[in-house]
Amino acid sequence: MKKTHTIRLPHLGEGVESADVSEILVSPGDKINTDEPIVVLESDKASMEIPSDIKGTIQEVFIEKGKEIIAGDKIVSIVSEEPTENKAKEKEEEKQEETKNQTIEKHTAHTTTKKTEHTFRTSPSVRKLARELQISLSDVKGSGKKGRITREDLIYEIKDRMTKKGADREKQEIDYSQWGPVDFIPLSKVKKITGTRMESAWREVPQVTQFDKADISGLNTYRKKLNKENPTIKITFLPFLIKAVTKALIKFPDLNSSLSVDKKTLIHKRYYHIGVAVDTPGGLVVPVVKNTNKKDIIEISKELEDISRRSREKQLKPEELKGGTFTISSLGGIGGTYFSPIVNPPQVAILGVSKAKKEPVFSTSKNSFMPKDILPISLTYDHRVIDGAQAAVFTKYLGSVLLEFLQET
Amino acid sequence: MTDKTKAEVVVIGAGPGGYAAAFRAADLGKKVVLIEKDTSLGGVCLNRGCIPSKALLHLAKLIEDTKEAKKKGVFFDTPKINISEIREWKNGVISNLSSGISQLAKRRRVKIITGKASFVSKNKVSVKNKKAKHSISFESAIIATGSTAATISELPIDSHRIIGSKQALELNEIPKKILVVGGGYIGLELGSVYSALGSRVNILEALPHLLAGADQDLVKPLQKKLSQRFENIYINSTLVSAEEKEGGICVKIKTPKGEIEERFDIILMSIGRRPNTKGLSPEKAGVKLNKKGFLIVDEFQRTSEPNIYAIGDVTGNPMLAHKASYEGVIASEHLSGLSSKFDARTVPAVVFTNPEIAWAGLTETEAIKKGVPYKKGEFPWAASGKAIALGFKEGKTKILFDQKTNQVLGVGIVGPEAGNLISEAALAIEMGADAEDLGQTIHPHPTLSETVKNSAEVFLGTITDILIPKNKKEQL
Repeated sequence: MKKTHTIRLPHLGEGVESADVSEILVSPGDKINTDEPIVVLESDKASMEIPSDIKGTIQEVFIEKGKEIIAGDKIVSIVSEEPTENKAKEKEEEKQEETKNQTIEKHTAHTTTKKTEHTFRTSPSVRKLARELQISLSDVKGSGKKGRITREDLIYEIKDRMTKKGADREKQEIDYSQWGPVDFIPLSKVKKITGTRMESAWREVPQVTQFDKADISGLNTYRKKLNKENPTIKITFLPFLIKAVTKALIKFPDLNSSLSVDKKTLIHKRYYHIGVAVDTPGGLVVPVVKNTNKKDIIEISKELEDISRRSREKQLKPEELKGGTFTISSLGGIGGTYFSPIVNPPQVAILGVSKAKKEPVFSTSKNSFMPKDILPISLTYDHRVIDGAQAAVFTKYLGSVLLEFLQET
Repeated sequence: MTDKTKAEVVVIGAGPGGYAAAFRAADLGKKVVLIEKDTSLGGVCLNRGCIPSKALLHLAKLIEDTKEAKKKGVFFDTPKINISEIREWKNGVISNLSSGISQLAKRRRVKIITGKASFVSKNKVSVKNKKAKHSISFESAIIATGSTAATISELPIDSHRIIGSKQALELNEIPKKILVVGGGYIGLELGSVYSALGSRVNILEALPHLLAGADQDLVKPLQKKLSQRFENIYINSTLVSAEEKEGGICVKIKTPKGEIEERFDIILMSIGRRPNTKGLSPEKAGVKLNKKGFLIVDEFQRTSEPNIYAIGDVTGNPMLAHKASYEGVIASEHLSGLSSKFDARTVPAVVFTNPEIAWAGLTETEAIKKGVPYKKGEFPWAASGKAIALGFKEGKTKILFDQKTNQVLGVGIVGPEAGNLISEAALAIEMGADAEDLGQTIHPHPTLSETVKNSAEVFLGTITDILIPKNKKEQL
């Protein structure tokens, strides 16, 4: 039994009249499962995926990439199918089709005439290096004048191959179902973007994490007092941390910097925009609180409240995610002790904080252990810019700022 | 008594290829034994080839230049030739270089064994000399035994009046009248030497041209000079018979105009060279030869036996010292595990006559024969200030370019110093340079090297030293 369904754009939320089609994830003939995304839309507030609410085969796509659509517009039509015995046969056919395609590809690869080595614009030394690296010059794109193949081109080619090799290995999907039942959960767009960024950050930035402890007992007392004084808003620990970090950044400008592309210059930023990692149902977003050196605890608190609400509702403006000079990732609401966050380039450092716990701290003046609120902090830094001693001094200083926050404010 | 030696690498033959191979292998940390049948190192090239012929050609040019000087207002008396003093000087040049090679071998701890080598197996070679017999076991061997002048069956071989390049360069006498059989580069070079020293030189060439491999437009200015210096140049002609008669050798020559008979003092054979494999027993090591008797090698200079390499003349044409030394280095590097291979795009060739002819890469003759599409830029030396000052306007530089990419495919030069000029062409070919690369490289003025730049400019239509050829002008 076959049945055709039309999927239309639902209401996107208050104040969102239309959205641009940024990515169409299906084309006619594709099989789609329930909850699998069909299209990625970009509104001026956020991006979102529209999932399919039925299982079937895409019949027609009504939208175009880059065009604006409004609620109620047709997106795709889907032919739903009742399960039949033909399924196995179809799969078989698909497989055959695949093997056919592969054969064709191989064939073309064979018949493509390779450029004869004689005509390459390259020097004997580069040819020698190519032999050493076991690269055929016909596989290399020359970057020099008139396509001259240089030493650098070979090195680039090797690097390229090494990354591809890694990617190829990943490409070979393992059939996990051979060991038991599995579910396939498509990643959200935010997660995919985060993944790519994390991967490149991990690859490009040599990073080290410095762990430390900060005594925030006094700060907690002060925070409770402040909360009583301002019943309209909830003042969390985060604004204090932002202020303390800002103070530390002013003292240690290397941590509020970026490395120039040619890696020859360190760019100190004389503004303090602190990114705050926020966990949302769609994934991790990092909105930025700007000019934290010019704002007080109350102002920052209000801003944070607004930002986190809008993050969860996917209503952040793109500008609100840009321009950060340092990032704070807080798992304080959850637990754990230390973790090593990944630097968010082009920033050079990120601070991770976990849940504060009561710990006995020995007081020399009282000659006994005192219960203190101890906050585990983890600073990951770009080791090309910051060295270990500098990082340790930074976390130590940050701890002292947090300890003496009362006197400071 | 048999002396037993173990070596990582055995090199057979200490010519320019062999000693290069031995020294490179030693520098790469190998224990090397170099076997040479002569007491003097350097092979044919140094002892009875390139080097002595160049020494004598230098004298020949000097003598010819004194004659040319007349036209410029400088008068020399007829030179007095003292053959034994010349011989001594020439031998001095050789021993100077040869002892230099011995020194280099010693410093590198390359063991030299004198004697004739013969394979016993693919890991053993025996060497015999008058005093002793050596047995050398090896991991790798490099055969660099070279070549010897070929002879033809029509000749009474045992006659002392029939000589090869080796004897010619020994300079035992200056024959009054000499027949050079073979109009290739060796024949023309040696003919030039003897002509300058006073012999009446006759050239016999079976083919329609002298220097069969070279482009005839390059040969022409040389042939014009040679026909003034030489008594006769017989082309399309063959030697029918030679018979020693009292005080000379009588030769019947078949020419296109009919058969002629002439008497000569000496016949110099220069009809090609044969590989030296006699007594070497390569078959005992399992090394295969081709139909012409040359050893078959791959791009790493390996023979059919992977631990045995062969380089230089014994592997075939072109039989040139600079090719042999390049190959020697390849062989030693490859057996040491480096990723070297014969990767040269060109082996330049030079004829050291006066004027010289040199070429690198594709010749025009070859391009036409193989149907390789090309474009050409040519610069006549009549427009070169330096050439005119030197008194040689007949020279010429030409460059063949790839039809699509304008890259240099080949360069041919005729004129004094052509052999020195061709290296730039070889580099251009190796680098994949094109007409603009050559045309936009500043060459010093006034030099003959400018003619390379100028040829590229003629091709590009940017030349200012001469009028732009009409067809080029239309393109602009």
